[in-house]
Amino acid sequence: MPAVSSSTKYDVIVIGGGHNGLTNAAYLANAGKKVLVLERRHVLGGAACTEEVFPGFKFSVCSYVVSLLRPEIIRDLDLPRHGLEILPLDGTFTPMPNGDHLWRVNDHGKTRREIARHSRVDAEAYDEFGKAMQAMCRFVKPILSMIPPDPATLNPKELMKLLFIGRRFQGMSSEDKYNQVQLMTMSAIDFLDQWFETDVLKATMSASGIIGTFLGVRSPGTAYVLLHHYMGEIDGAFRAWGFARGGTGAISNAIADAAREAGAEIRTEAPIARIMVTNGRATGVVLSNGDELYADVVSSSVDPRLTFTKMIEPGNLPGEFMDGVKRYKFRGSSGKVNMALDGLPNFKCMPGVGAHLRGAMSISPSVEYMEKAYDDAKYGHWSSHPYIDMVIPTLTDTSLAPPGKHILSCFVQYAPYKLAPGLDWDTEKEKFGDNVVNTIAEYAPNIKNIILHRQVVTPLDLEREWGLTEGNIFQGELSLEQLFFLRPVAGWAQFRSPIKNLYMCGSATHPGGGIMGAPGRLAALEILKDGAA
Amino acid sequence: MSAERPIAETRDVIIIGGGHNGLVAAFYLAKAGFKPLLLERRAQVGGAAITEEFHPGFRCSTLAHNTGPLRADIVRDMQLEQHGLKLTTPEVSTASLLPDGRALVLYSDAKKAAQEIAQWSQKDAAAYADFGTALGKIGKVISEALALTPPNIDSPSSGDLWGMLKTGRSIRNLGKKDLYRVLRWGPMAAADLVAEFFDTEPLRATVAARGIFGTFLGPWSAGSALVLMLRAAADRSANPNPAGIVQFPAGGVGAITLAMAAAAKQAGTEIRTGADIAEIRVKDGVATGVVLTSGEEISARAVVSNADPKRTLLRLVDPSHLSPDFIQKIKNYRCMGTVAKINLALSALPEFTALKSKGNGNLLQGRIQISPEIDYLERAFDESKYGNFSRQPYIEITFPSLSDTSLAPAGQHVMSIYMQYAPYKLKDSDWESQRKALGETVVKTIAQYAPNLPQTILRHQIITPKDLEETYGLTGGHIFHGELALDQFFTMRPLLDWARYQTPIERLYLCGSGTHPGTGLTGGSGANAAREIVKALKK
Repeated sequence: MPAVSSSTKYDVIVIGGGHNGLTNAAYLANAGKKVLVLERRHVLGGAACTEEVFPGFKFSVCSYVVSLLRPEIIRDLDLPRHGLEILPLDGTFTPMPNGDHLWRVNDHGKTRREIARHSRVDAEAYDEFGKAMQAMCRFVKPILSMIPPDPATLNPKELMKLLFIGRRFQGMSSEDKYNQVQLMTMSAIDFLDQWFETDVLKATMSASGIIGTFLGVRSPGTAYVLLHHYMGEIDGAFRAWGFARGGTGAISNAIADAAREAGAEIRTEAPIARIMVTNGRATGVVLSNGDELYADVVSSSVDPRLTFTKMIEPGNLPGEFMDGVKRYKFRGSSGKVNMALDGLPNFKCMPGVGAHLRGAMSISPSVEYMEKAYDDAKYGHWSSHPYIDMVIPTLTDTSLAPPGKHILSCFVQYAPYKLAPGLDWDTEKEKFGDNVVNTIAEYAPNIKNIILHRQVVTPLDLEREWGLTEGNIFQGELSLEQLFFLRPVAGWAQFRSPIKNLYMCGSATHPGGGIMGAPGRLAALEILKDGAA
Repeated sequence: MSAERPIAETRDVIIIGGGHNGLVAAFYLAKAGFKPLLLERRAQVGGAAITEEFHPGFRCSTLAHNTGPLRADIVRDMQLEQHGLKLTTPEVSTASLLPDGRALVLYSDAKKAAQEIAQWSQKDAAAYADFGTALGKIGKVISEALALTPPNIDSPSSGDLWGMLKTGRSIRNLGKKDLYRVLRWGPMAAADLVAEFFDTEPLRATVAARGIFGTFLGPWSAGSALVLMLRAAADRSANPNPAGIVQFPAGGVGAITLAMAAAAKQAGTEIRTGADIAEIRVKDGVATGVVLTSGEEISARAVVSNADPKRTLLRLVDPSHLSPDFIQKIKNYRCMGTVAKINLALSALPEFTALKSKGNGNLLQGRIQISPEIDYLERAFDESKYGNFSRQPYIEITFPSLSDTSLAPAGQHVMSIYMQYAPYKLKDSDWESQRKALGETVVKTIAQYAPNLPQTILRHQIITPKDLEETYGLTGGHIFHGELALDQFFTMRPLLDWARYQTPIERLYLCGSGTHPGTGLTGGSGANAAREIVKALKK
């Protein structure tokens, strides 16, 4: 690492080397800015990282699949040239307690026949549903690449933006309007109930509606999150859900590579003590080792609570804004259990090695199962029967584990950050892990005998190690009152902050979480527009 | 009343159902020069706002048992006072009981309420006033929107635009802070909203309860804050009270609809009770009249239904007159009730442990709630999600006989109890077999707070969601004619693009709570509908 002289001055200092921070840096560097990225950890990528947790086993420790990465970013940063390769993740396999299963794959005909096995009506509806969701995505996608308007101003530019959305809405068929309005307001189950009758189908589809939120499949608002995750599944094969070769960290590395090529400087193990503010203007940062680094613009990819309550000295921000920051909801609800395996899980309902292991395996047998998992969490307990989304990346990317060995990556919900009085995550951690193994064992009993190593990541770990406040993987709930022009704070959804030249560029800003990169890109465009750097 | 066949004559407007919205619509139509014929299936008008004798000498507000303020313009136009409506506002609006023997008492007068709250938390006392003011400001704007006919989504008329512009302006006049509040609060969970203001758990729960009443939502359900705001909007009070304003009509809630009926008659409405509609006649996509179960046919230039959307469009209209797509959507209209009503005839006032010290009687005059904490309410909700009624239910009690002693023999009383959650659909059981268990659960729950209650009971009247459907014609037993939720509100009530009181069938209109604004006992839907119907028929 280059020696730091306090005289070094940058155009922009980006706080946090997650995929959004790196995207932000890459765009600014491409625009000719002198950019420095500061990452607290020893690896880049934030929650999009690959780490060799056990010798020979490379885990995508947190985020484990990709789908939402904005095409314009892949294009602008030429990520494939920087080593990004997305390997397809085909289908979702849902084992059922009664020995049956539901297996949806990308092959349309196959999926139809499979669903028809459960219900002919649903097989028909499934096509219609796909079409409807496509239309919804067409409406929402441009909004993902748009700076949220401020409905409270009279600035004609802002009102035009609102008008634009209004017109797009007008442009839809009344059928699509009907669906759109429902998607924005309903619960995933209420929405799916209108299309399907097969319980397991609704349960496993509704799972996308709760991922990363502290909501149940019956909570209004989850239909939107469903759409949020559907976005990727829609357009063509490449954008379908997939793995990055080399693990999720490879995405961050590709973006970092693009940033470096454009001249950005990236430092790891450079934790920040505070952001320097003079006369209401950000002037740089102070590292915890005392080094002072100066810049015209500070762009923070960490969440607002860290940025404004931990890194800014009190008194620099208006009370109303701070109220908004304090109100902003995190409420992490999920954990990860990553396993190094000596073989492959053998499902009772579909024995042997098969294509079903190459896709996602979803423990979501019934709507009631999903909702009860949420009930546990509401009162401060991790779900006794959790929703689990599993993948075995080593079946697609052998470079991640020694020959013959495998990795099982399990996303688990619910694991509430705030536990009931008397419980704490440090003592619950391994019990939580055991329960996940036991739950999987109900469907694939051999799992217990093939585990070589196990890594449990609790919401508390996500907070401590990855700086995700309260362990929320999206840097804040994706609930309606925290979306679009309300994210993260009403009136401050345009990536700026009350402190001049201090910007936000993380998942806590529009359009929110997932490996999308949109916040990083949009923030960069705003910084350039302001000519702040 | 008689059902002999008169010589077939064509009526002006037929109104199906004599609930409060039907009566309000009838009044305004008559005022506009039409000769409405209102047909009520039961022996008395009033729908869900009625007073009935359920035990010799004991009369009770059978369903709705108190009213927030009715829409001021409706009270004025219909001259309800002159027609005998006497509303009293009890000093205590809500007494919230706690298991530990304490009670949180909220007075109708905001200042007095704040004083009481101060005994729990100074901070909350201040916050209570702030919350009230905010609700008042926002409520005022929302109530403007409630009085609007939802705009036509595809091609807003100039009238629509003007209305939206007016509301739009008053929304802007709210100022940034409150504007953002409207936007932020709507989709929120009531539990989160109250937590932004209060620390005292019983206060949080008591106020949040307003956001779940009558709905299939728990305090942690997103959108319950909207219900809370809508009900606050109905208050439209000078000193708004987050716990809500409670008013009792002399003679029970039925007195409201009796006064409305008198006003409607005086304005020229003919009211026939015991007239059960078998079918709405439709010819070439146009409503031409109705057929009674008696076989009698009455033709009319227009038919206005106060029945809920599902009953009107799925049961009274022959499906062949509607597109399969529309039928599908109406089927999907969420209309699953969650409340049951229990009315008790009592030999004496029960003694509430928590209220004795504070002078029992006086504190019983308002609403008495069992909603001690947010989690209590949420757990009550949880059971209903899986098709069971709550074993520890959310309960709202009033004693109509305290505000009007004529409702029960001297010294004796009627106790009116709303119980939530009682899901319309029970898992592997039915309401007939659960009726007794429901009554026992409610009495047992209240007895935890008023031990001598069981000894004072002379008679139970247990009204399950199924009864609400069969006896009172509320589909799914839903007291609001359909879930009050973001996806069934304003331009989406009952369906997106069908929120303007018309239906796909020409000259068939809706005027019940299943249309905008549809928030309880306000008369808003009936008044809005009448305005649109007059416009349409005068064309």
